[in-house]
Amino acid sequence: MHTNSVICADALTVRVDDRTLLDNLNFNVGKGEVFALLGGNGAGKSTTLKTFLGLMKASSGSATVLGKNASTNTNDVQKSVAYLPESVTLYGHLSGLENIRYFLSVAGVDKTDEDIFAALRKVALQENSWKKALSNYSKGMRQKTAIALALLRNAPVLFLDEPTSGLDPAAIDEFNALVSELAANGATIFMVTHDVYGACQVAHRIVLLSDGKLTGSFERVADTPIDTEAVHAAFAGRTL
Amino acid sequence: MMRFNDIKREAGFVFGHRQFKLTMLVVLLLSSISLWAGFAEMQEQQATIERLLEKDQVERDAVINHQSNYGMVAYYSFHLTYAPPTSLAFAAVGERDVFPWKHRIRMLALEGQIYESDTDNPELAFLGRFDFAFVTSVLLPLFIILLLYDLKAKEREARRFDLLNVTARNSHAIWTSRVIVTLVPLALAVLLPFVAFAVLNGAELVGIVKVCAIVIANIAMWSVIVLAIGAAKRFSQFSATHLASIMLGVWLMTTVVVPVTGHTIINALVDTPEGGDIVLIQREAVNGAWDKPVEETWSAFLKSHPQWTHYTEFDPKRDSSFNWKWYYAFQQVGDEKASELSQSYQASTLKKDEIASYIAWVSPSLLTQRLLSSAADTDVQAMVHYENSVRHFHASLRDFYYNRMFKAPAFSLESFEQLPQFTPQKLKDSQENTDEN
Repeated sequence: MHTNSVICADALTVRVDDRTLLDNLNFNVGKGEVFALLGGNGAGKSTTLKTFLGLMKASSGSATVLGKNASTNTNDVQKSVAYLPESVTLYGHLSGLENIRYFLSVAGVDKTDEDIFAALRKVALQENSWKKALSNYSKGMRQKTAIALALLRNAPVLFLDEPTSGLDPAAIDEFNALVSELAANGATIFMVTHDVYGACQVAHRIVLLSDGKLTGSFERVADTPIDTEAVHAAFAGRTL
Repeated sequence: MMRFNDIKREAGFVFGHRQFKLTMLVVLLLSSISLWAGFAEMQEQQATIERLLEKDQVERDAVINHQSNYGMVAYYSFHLTYAPPTSLAFAAVGERDVFPWKHRIRMLALEGQIYESDTDNPELAFLGRFDFAFVTSVLLPLFIILLLYDLKAKEREARRFDLLNVTARNSHAIWTSRVIVTLVPLALAVLLPFVAFAVLNGAELVGIVKVCAIVIANIAMWSVIVLAIGAAKRFSQFSATHLASIMLGVWLMTTVVVPVTGHTIINALVDTPEGGDIVLIQREAVNGAWDKPVEETWSAFLKSHPQWTHYTEFDPKRDSSFNWKWYYAFQQVGDEKASELSQSYQASTLKKDEIASYIAWVSPSLLTQRLLSSAADTDVQAMVHYENSVRHFHASLRDFYYNRMFKAPAFSLESFEQLPQFTPQKLKDSQENTDEN
């Protein structure tokens, strides 16, 4: 394991029945880094994410977060991370505000209303929608609510599952800006996506995953975003 | 660890659903209506007993005052025997629906009087009367399934499950709390009306606590079944609807199939005489006695009553114009002839009950129903105990009249002050007395 790594996959292998879903993955994600795992459908992205969240167990090797093994110290890992699922389906009969209060209580995190309002403003969720039932929210608004929740948890590590899926371009830009800001403030961000363009805009490092194996890696040099064309070529070459 | 805040939060969450509040209201109504129905039935039975007791006394006094012969008084006097409803019988009517709980008996042959109303003998009460025991043992599991079948599956289908698990401080903070705030109101909706009716009916605290414990244990048992199915690894990818159908299958199997099959098996295993056969044997013996030589009756009677060997002589002047001693002797002989079949009937009834008690271990609903009937003293044991208390009372009546007919003292109204009176005794009191002896 890398000494400064916040997230570490060490010979990580996951098998279910006789199928190998992840095959000997090795990577480290450092503090303040935005790491994107890029792959097509069935590549193993969600399995990787679930293994780091402790929702699936490693068959061999390890998935560690902040030095804790996600398979054996699941509770400790889950306490230190925030998770943004692909399809944010919070409770539709509750308002955005009520959903945040509910999930914060589930997490055992005490926050004042002022803290919550500040987080909602930070993610630019329109104030007149805060008390409306979530069933009336657009996908982007639900996403913002979930991000506000993740911010309020003050988690040092964020796991994002297809975070820009279904968002309009303006919302994607807002989201990317927010992710960059969080990383600049020291948060470690691990996202799985198949959105090449979005990943190149925001990630410090992109790793390609295909059939459960790592097949390529791209790193940002200084402040220059990763070359979209290069990633796309590598990605398309693998999936076509 | 679970915190008070978790309970408070989940309570707010669960009660935020209109469907949950509606379900609680329906359970509260079902519980209240079933209790009211049982309460009204028991009030009616008690009123019947009181009315008959009053009538019984008036009629007997009239007979005693208009006759001058013990044989005639014995012939025309009726005696009410009864098993009064216990203070918890309203909650579990149990075998009071199947076994007679009152007999107006005479000094004649008894077995025919006991079994003349026997038409059926279903030891395994199933989908019977709509009483509190029915609601808690048969319907309540359905509400538990309704409330818990999609506890996790619903969240999985809504794709919230992973988010909840990752966000939750620990699994108790959400799942255990949610189960508790679902089940506690359910238990209250069922039990609060029961406690109110029990207090109104003057039930003892121990009995109330026992019934509450049985209902809570039933809720716990069904919750474990439902949650275990929901948590089973092999069902982890099943939809909420699919899980619900599995749970309903378990309910159907344990609540309907097991008791019905058990009933069939018990009837096949245990050979039970018909009540009608007992009546027939006894009546044939009694009717046939008229045509037999008197000595034959005396010979049979004196085998069991040797103390009257020297008192069988008939003196029309002393004993009245009719030989009542002989008449009651062949009634007694009629009972003795039916005795073997009658004992066999009771033994097989108890055997069936014993086998049913084993079958109940694979049917939580049947077990609950049996436990509630036992707590309310309305089970087979209690009804058999009543039947035997009728025999015991009848024996004391015979003893009273035999002493007067065979020894032939002068007829006196005062002697009827010693006439035995039927006093119902609870099964538990009777068992305690037996233990003390």
